[in-house]
Amino acid sequence: MTLTAAENRAGGAGAIRWRSVQGIWLRHWVSYIRYWKITITWVLIEPAVALVAVGAGIGQLVEAVEGADSYAEFVTPGIIMGSAMFHALFETSWNAYHRIDNQIYETQLTTPISVFELTLGDVAWAVTRSLFTTVAVAAFAAALGWIDEWMVIGIIIPAILSGMVFGTMGFFFAATAPYTVFLSLVFTLVATPLYFFSGSFFPISVLPNWVEPIAWAMPLTPGVHMARGFATNTLEITHLWSALYMIGMIAVFWPTAVWLMRRRLIK
Amino acid sequence: MIRVSDLHKRFGDIHAVNGISFEVKRGETYGLLGPNGAGKTTTMRMLSALSPLTSGDIEVGGINVTERGREVREILGVVTQHDGHDSGLTVLQNLALHGYLQGLSRSRAEERAVEVLTFFGLEDRKSANVYELSGGMKRRLAISRALLTQPPVVVLDEPTTGLDPQSRNRVWEQLAVMKRAGVTVLMSTHYMEEAATLCDRLSIMDHGKILDEGAPDELVERHAGEEVAQVRTRSEEALAALRERLAGTTFNLHEVGAMATITSDNGKRPEISGIDGIRVNYRSGNLEDVFITLTGRDLRDE
Repeated sequence: MTLTAAENRAGGAGAIRWRSVQGIWLRHWVSYIRYWKITITWVLIEPAVALVAVGAGIGQLVEAVEGADSYAEFVTPGIIMGSAMFHALFETSWNAYHRIDNQIYETQLTTPISVFELTLGDVAWAVTRSLFTTVAVAAFAAALGWIDEWMVIGIIIPAILSGMVFGTMGFFFAATAPYTVFLSLVFTLVATPLYFFSGSFFPISVLPNWVEPIAWAMPLTPGVHMARGFATNTLEITHLWSALYMIGMIAVFWPTAVWLMRRRLIK
Repeated sequence: MIRVSDLHKRFGDIHAVNGISFEVKRGETYGLLGPNGAGKTTTMRMLSALSPLTSGDIEVGGINVTERGREVREILGVVTQHDGHDSGLTVLQNLALHGYLQGLSRSRAEERAVEVLTFFGLEDRKSANVYELSGGMKRRLAISRALLTQPPVVVLDEPTTGLDPQSRNRVWEQLAVMKRAGVTVLMSTHYMEEAATLCDRLSIMDHGKILDEGAPDELVERHAGEEVAQVRTRSEEALAALRERLAGTTFNLHEVGAMATITSDNGKRPEISGIDGIRVNYRSGNLEDVFITLTGRDLRDE
């Protein structure tokens, strides 16, 4: 990653100062655990409620689908990945905007940190948040018998990848938002439609033929697909494509996010 | 310690900084004085490597800002215009994080945090949330944050704007202590009293340019005179007569409604006699007179 002259890092163009990244991650952790009684409702309770309502409630009306033994088993990885998406996306859109708006980044940038390291620390934290909710909800689902305990470990892989996809995407909104209300679009245009139309609640194959490729191209779909491969123990070659697709998105979103943030912060 | 030469900054069509040069010596307190939009903040942001230069050069402690900005930020304590405290953290956590990002070890950062909080009389607020602090406390916290690493150079952008007189005095005291410790300070302000009290030398800026530079006394002598005349006029005719009398002289008339101030370009006391309907009082010239003489009375947008 090359940097502008204004950021002018010491030690050559490629040197990352890990202390900066660590410091930012640590800041988030310290701030997060201060309010754990509040955040746990979003990490575990809210997705668990959705899981029980949909899995046990709607699940009674639905026959088993696509390789899963029950609808609850089908929907579990979908709800887990949806929650992972919300957390990562929220962190780098709403929370990052708050840090822009309140000059918190500005203060951090008065230390020898670069915008690249700043966003890297934030994305690392966004991924961490995705992992928290993934592990919490998956453990809850495992207790209900809707997912095999060992597959919880497998789901961590798509959770990390998907966390990076949405952690980098969130900056698109934070870096371009002219005012706070603008950020509602993160939910109305991105998160909520993706939550429902990424193969989480019903297989993409039930959609009209022409919609199918669009649904497959949506950024949450590969995470859900891959997580389901682990959850139902049906891994095959298409799950590898999903992983590669997520890596491809990260490769595009990541430099774009850094570029947008630099444009917003370094004037 | 700080060297700025032929510095320019453009934002699109706006020429925010238009070719300024100045130097700040080791241990000196240097002020940038100017109305809103003069280019003070932009200059300070460029100096802190927070904003790229359009052209020109800045060196801090012999380090070029454009080439080695990260190193500059290592030796610089910066107080930005907005406090920029992190509302997700306590007072102490704010400082500890900043110290760590600056390069201190985690334990050392915490140690220093407690030291600076004590120095600024904030030690009993260390577990408070930053949003619970008063404006003056927030400002002191921002200054203490800049001093965590005991930097040789500190840059303060309007350190006392918006503070009540008590808090302002408190900040001034702390700046005086810093100065005695040999810290080089660059500060911006639009409070004349502050500049006159704290700065060894200062620049008066407007429209991205430096209009004049010198010690506060020198500037007063040069642009206002040791004594300025404060004139009250009883009629429009008297004011017109006064205007006519001063036209083409080395004296400048600054009108504010029925009041007027007369400053001098060459240090001479303005003697006014023989005009009916005016009352003249003399007072010491000050930086405010200099400021108005040089930058005029037009209102500025932010």
